[in-house]
Amino acid sequence: MNDKPVSKILVLDNSREHILQIKRFCHENDLVPLKVPKGRVMAVLGTNIDLGGILYSETYGDSPAEAARIALEIHAARPELPMILRSETSAQIQDIPHELRHVFCAAYLGSNIGALRAVLDEFIFCLRYPNALLRGISELTLAVMRRQLPYVSITMDTPYIVNDRMIYGELLSLIPLESSWYRGYMMLQTEEAPFLDVICPEKASQGMNFRTVNDLLSETTNLIWGAFKNRFTGDGSKSAHDNAQVPLVINHKHRYISFGTDNPQLCFRFTLKNRANGRSSMIYERFIFNLSWSPENFKDSERDVAGLVESGELQLF
Amino acid sequence: MAQILVVDDSSTVRDEVAMFLQENGFKVSTAVDGKDGLLKLKADPQIRLVVADVNMPNMDGLTMVEKIRTELGNSQVHLVMLTTENSPHMKERGKAAGVKGWIVKPFKGAAVVETFKKLMV
Repeated sequence: MNDKPVSKILVLDNSREHILQIKRFCHENDLVPLKVPKGRVMAVLGTNIDLGGILYSETYGDSPAEAARIALEIHAARPELPMILRSETSAQIQDIPHELRHVFCAAYLGSNIGALRAVLDEFIFCLRYPNALLRGISELTLAVMRRQLPYVSITMDTPYIVNDRMIYGELLSLIPLESSWYRGYMMLQTEEAPFLDVICPEKASQGMNFRTVNDLLSETTNLIWGAFKNRFTGDGSKSAHDNAQVPLVINHKHRYISFGTDNPQLCFRFTLKNRANGRSSMIYERFIFNLSWSPENFKDSERDVAGLVESGELQLF
Repeated sequence: MAQILVVDDSSTVRDEVAMFLQENGFKVSTAVDGKDGLLKLKADPQIRLVVADVNMPNMDGLTMVEKIRTELGNSQVHLVMLTTENSPHMKERGKAAGVKGWIVKPFKGAAVVETFKKLMV
């Protein structure tokens, strides 16, 4: 597994010269570029739910007016995605036409693509996730899933950072996480029918239905939450802002969930494949540290196990 | 009459633990949360061992075991927690309430059968 998270970005740029430059830059800066032809932007936005941001060229349209219209449409559809403008003339946000200024979070000159690094650090990779945390989450999640679904093979992508708020699938579990150095939520998301196909292809004959999936996802969430807490809680004391809360907003129509912050989310994607019938399903695991995040106080208890017992064993008092 | 009461809000866990214990010769009943657990225990004097989760809706498992001792006045039933929790603080609270054993989920049944049998002698 890579130690650093990546982030998927849409590249909306028609310049062949700049595309090559951007591709190289992405490769060197933990970005996964996704080039989209002009006519398909909204369709691609509709199907991609794990984007980190958008690199947008001021010459993306056939005319400045068309480029502006497309930018406004994208921003209206997905305002949470940071859009970064490639300009031929200025990297200053105040030089962007007034009516478009709210659309872009930053600008850069094509002749100075190196300046993009600072923009990424500000708008995409703005939260630092310790490598041991990424490794730990993937280890404990895989261990729980393999235990819960022993007949399913499970693989995991490189962890990545997302800024969008789209929900994957119809099924979502959500549980709070908190310690002295973090406060937020963990979510698991999946599609019901493929998941049910993977866990039990003969579902009807075995009386399985959506409640089976709900319960399995719930217990999987509980086990991951417990393992996460036992490993990463540190001294267990909570922050001085223990009582702070913000409302979560869920819009079913747009399959959208907001945690009241612009903070990007840390995402892990797992592919489940039934060994017998080859059917597969996906689980997205997202971490949203919206209330508190202090990775400088990160503590991994993996080797600090004095007093802790192995899971499944009985500790007698 | 049941010998073991399994209290967990997850039906996956309830079914798994109950089935395993039944296969190993125990009579088992189940409850969906701490409140339900108290009611089931009150109604069945044959229960000798309660295996309970900690994090449950309506009434958590530690509150339930405290109430078993204080409100029900039942000092005979053995109490074992089966939970994702592994913190010393939680365990101390359980110990103070008379909890005899602590199992961190996931449940690996084989290791506990003999101990359960001894507890219920």
